[in-house]
Amino acid sequence: MYNISQELKSKIMFVNKVLLDKYEEVLSMDRNILRSYINDNVGSILKIEKFTEEELKRYTQLGGILGVDGSKNRMGGTHPHFIEVYQGLAKSTLHKDKPIYKVDFYTPLYSEEEETNLLEEDSEKDQKISNKKLAAIEIEAALEGINMLKPYAVMMDGSLIRYKIVCSDKWQELKEECERRNIILVGVIKDIKTSIIRESIEEGYSLPIKECFYDRELLYGLLDYGEVILTNINTKKEERGFASLFMRSSQSPTVIGMDILKSQQSRILEMARLIFTLTPKASRGVPLWLDIIDSEVKIPDQMIRGLLESYLDRKILEMLFISERDKRTI
Amino acid sequence: MKVVGITTQQEVYVGSRERNFRINEFLIIVDPHQGDLIGEVVEARTYNKYIPLSLNGDLADSSVLQSLKAIGYNVEEDTIYIARVRLLNEAPYPVEAGSDVRIPQFYEVKDLMINCSVEDGLVLGVIKNTDQMALDMDEEYKDLLYTFEGGKFKEQKDIPYIFNIKSMNQYPHIGIFGGSGSGKSFGLRVMLEEMMNLNIPTIVLDPHFEMDFSEVVDHLPKGKKVDYGDKFRCLQVGVDVGVRFEDLSPQDLKNLLDASSPLTDAMINVVDILFKKKDSYNSFYNRIKMLAEAQEEGSIDRITRRIEESTTDLERQGWQKRKELYLNYDKSCPYSSVRGILWRVNRLYNEGIFNNDIRKIEEGLNQGKLMVIQGNTRILQVFSTYLINNLYHKRRSYKDAQFNNSAVEYFPPFVVVTDEAHNFAPKGYECPSKAILKEISQEGRKYGVFLILATQRPTLLDETITAQLNTKFIFRTVRGSDIATIKEETDITEEEARRLPYLQTGDVFISESARGRTIFARIRAANTTSPHTENPFDELKGKLHEEDNKFFQIIKDKLPINGDDFINIIKEIESETGKTYTMDLFEEMLNNLVQKGYIIKEKTPFFNVYKEK
Repeated sequence: MYNISQELKSKIMFVNKVLLDKYEEVLSMDRNILRSYINDNVGSILKIEKFTEEELKRYTQLGGILGVDGSKNRMGGTHPHFIEVYQGLAKSTLHKDKPIYKVDFYTPLYSEEEETNLLEEDSEKDQKISNKKLAAIEIEAALEGINMLKPYAVMMDGSLIRYKIVCSDKWQELKEECERRNIILVGVIKDIKTSIIRESIEEGYSLPIKECFYDRELLYGLLDYGEVILTNINTKKEERGFASLFMRSSQSPTVIGMDILKSQQSRILEMARLIFTLTPKASRGVPLWLDIIDSEVKIPDQMIRGLLESYLDRKILEMLFISERDKRTI
Repeated sequence: MKVVGITTQQEVYVGSRERNFRINEFLIIVDPHQGDLIGEVVEARTYNKYIPLSLNGDLADSSVLQSLKAIGYNVEEDTIYIARVRLLNEAPYPVEAGSDVRIPQFYEVKDLMINCSVEDGLVLGVIKNTDQMALDMDEEYKDLLYTFEGGKFKEQKDIPYIFNIKSMNQYPHIGIFGGSGSGKSFGLRVMLEEMMNLNIPTIVLDPHFEMDFSEVVDHLPKGKKVDYGDKFRCLQVGVDVGVRFEDLSPQDLKNLLDASSPLTDAMINVVDILFKKKDSYNSFYNRIKMLAEAQEEGSIDRITRRIEESTTDLERQGWQKRKELYLNYDKSCPYSSVRGILWRVNRLYNEGIFNNDIRKIEEGLNQGKLMVIQGNTRILQVFSTYLINNLYHKRRSYKDAQFNNSAVEYFPPFVVVTDEAHNFAPKGYECPSKAILKEISQEGRKYGVFLILATQRPTLLDETITAQLNTKFIFRTVRGSDIATIKEETDITEEEARRLPYLQTGDVFISESARGRTIFARIRAANTTSPHTENPFDELKGKLHEEDNKFFQIIKDKLPINGDDFINIIKEIESETGKTYTMDLFEEMLNNLVQKGYIIKEKTPFFNVYKEK
């Protein structure tokens, strides 16, 4: 039986109280005041409609939609004894039999770049490389998809800005390719981590918020089904060459984000409508197309383990990548 | 199609992206090491990973699936089809995962599906879900029959199900089980039609008066119509057939009386004592009656006085006779038992059982005909006990005589068929017809006498008999206790038993000891129809219409009829047809015709006028 320690219980109750105190402001805020504030200062709140089937059929003539996603599996223990496998997938709605897979791996034990001192543990660096590699194969998959399948638009799973930050050289290539060929490039953000509403307040507008809140918190339940906020203030994103919007694409009260190249800003509402159309009403807000790609790109941990066990020498595997934790049986 | 997942020697899963599976379909697994293995689909499923069953999360709505389709991606194409396949014969090793799977050709499954020729067997229907294998089927098996589906007659597409009647010699007796409306009686009809085709001598006990084969259905093209007119005869107990009293043995008589209503030991004793060889009905009846009358007098003195007081010779002789009987039998035959026998004999007589004999039945059987014996359930119980006993022993003595090299008249092997068999061989209590059916079920095979027993309550059928039914046709069954009995008595699997309550009318599991497995089949459309097919509600409607029409014909030439003139019209009708109506009734009937649209009614200030339309 589980014995729950009194202390653990009281600590959790404490956390609840602290968070309640902190968010009291948000939770008690009048929905309409915040909406009108946003409408005036952050961007207009618009209602968008789903595409009709006829309108959608146009996209098949124009080349279909390319969805891109990546996945990562990790096996092993702590730095440097682990290996990560990345897989990127680009798949067009028109060519379901031609998925484009890209694969890469990373282990701190072997570096393609400069010699590193293995003894110097640097998990932050690992993280950076990991992110970069994942972003890189996603972009590679997207690029190949663009060349081979000639889509009308590319829908990336995750913010475009992330690619620019973690993998700027490859990103540049993708961006230019899309602009040159006039292919629309958008990113769909499931977990928004921005705080532009809060930032706008700092610039001197009045709203009874003192603490730093993220957009995700402020926007929770604020929009109605099918409403978007077209942000029009100068944000960091803006400076980096992106336009963005928030959208409530399903009945779930959370809001998703979408960004698009500044040069393609005129298409932002069109893409928003497309995403809205492809999102099931009773889902968590992500277009089904991206969910499908997500499920195809994911590799089960067991399969990775099986692959490593089959193709790595047992000695290497045991010595380097099997952590004590993996061997635990109870 | 490939073998997927974990496999065993008995069962595998087969997955396909293109082709959906059907239950009871046959597949060949091409195992690279063990060669071709044949299996049957016992469970079929489909799955689409993008359209999961999720009770508390994302559920893709149809509009989104439609939208995805519009931009070129059809999620439905990602559906995979999965079948659980059970091997017909256990493989020596587990089936190799990843083996290819294909649809068998006809010649590969022929031996599994067909074990006798069309001419020698009963062509009862089709084996379901075999249409793909039937494509390259031999010509002789094609176009044998029609099936009746969704209210229409359909040409045969599947492999025919042919029951090998010769296998009855080794695996005797057939049971037909199924609830009402499951297609049981209709399956029985088809079976009997086939028996007539083969000229198999058959006795059918028909308590429902439904086994008439004279009405041929219209769906058959010319040339394929079969006329059963001279292959069967319907005989009513008490009218066309009966028991010749003179032929009765004491045991026969006791069986008959017992079937009428159970006999006590004392009554059996009375029959043994009072029944003499070569008795006619009258001699036996009079003997009992006179004894009873003598016993009613009470003492020998009173009978003697009766003799003395007699005014005619006839009367005197009568009482003399009674006195003799009284002296001989009063001690051994108690009055109440004599009375009981008297009632029973009388009752049988009144039902006409002793009116005729069974010669017509014997003749029919000798000519290979189907003899339908009709009567209500009780009278059939009585008569069949005598009849089957008699015929069975005729056949038996012929066969026995063959061994002894003695000369006994030929009597053919035959089949006894009955619907509502639980009435003739009930579980739990004795009944005379049960004894003979039990005997045939256990020994009939040796003498070429076979049973076909249909019942909607297999649970109520005697267990010894059920155990001897080597082939069972199982139609839709809903009652839990009956399903349990069926599971116990057949090789039907758990999955198949679960499907029993949902079978379509006419679909049947056939569990044959001869084949050692269960076949899922559909009974063919019958070539003849039952006389009871008219819906009683249609009958009512038709009858009403008929009545209206009759009245309309009567008043037709009297139209128009004025409301103040009823009395004269009624008089006229009375003189013409002899029918009398009251004014009120007449008006009501006219209004009824107005309502039904035969005539119209016009209102005038003084009275209504009924006019022709």
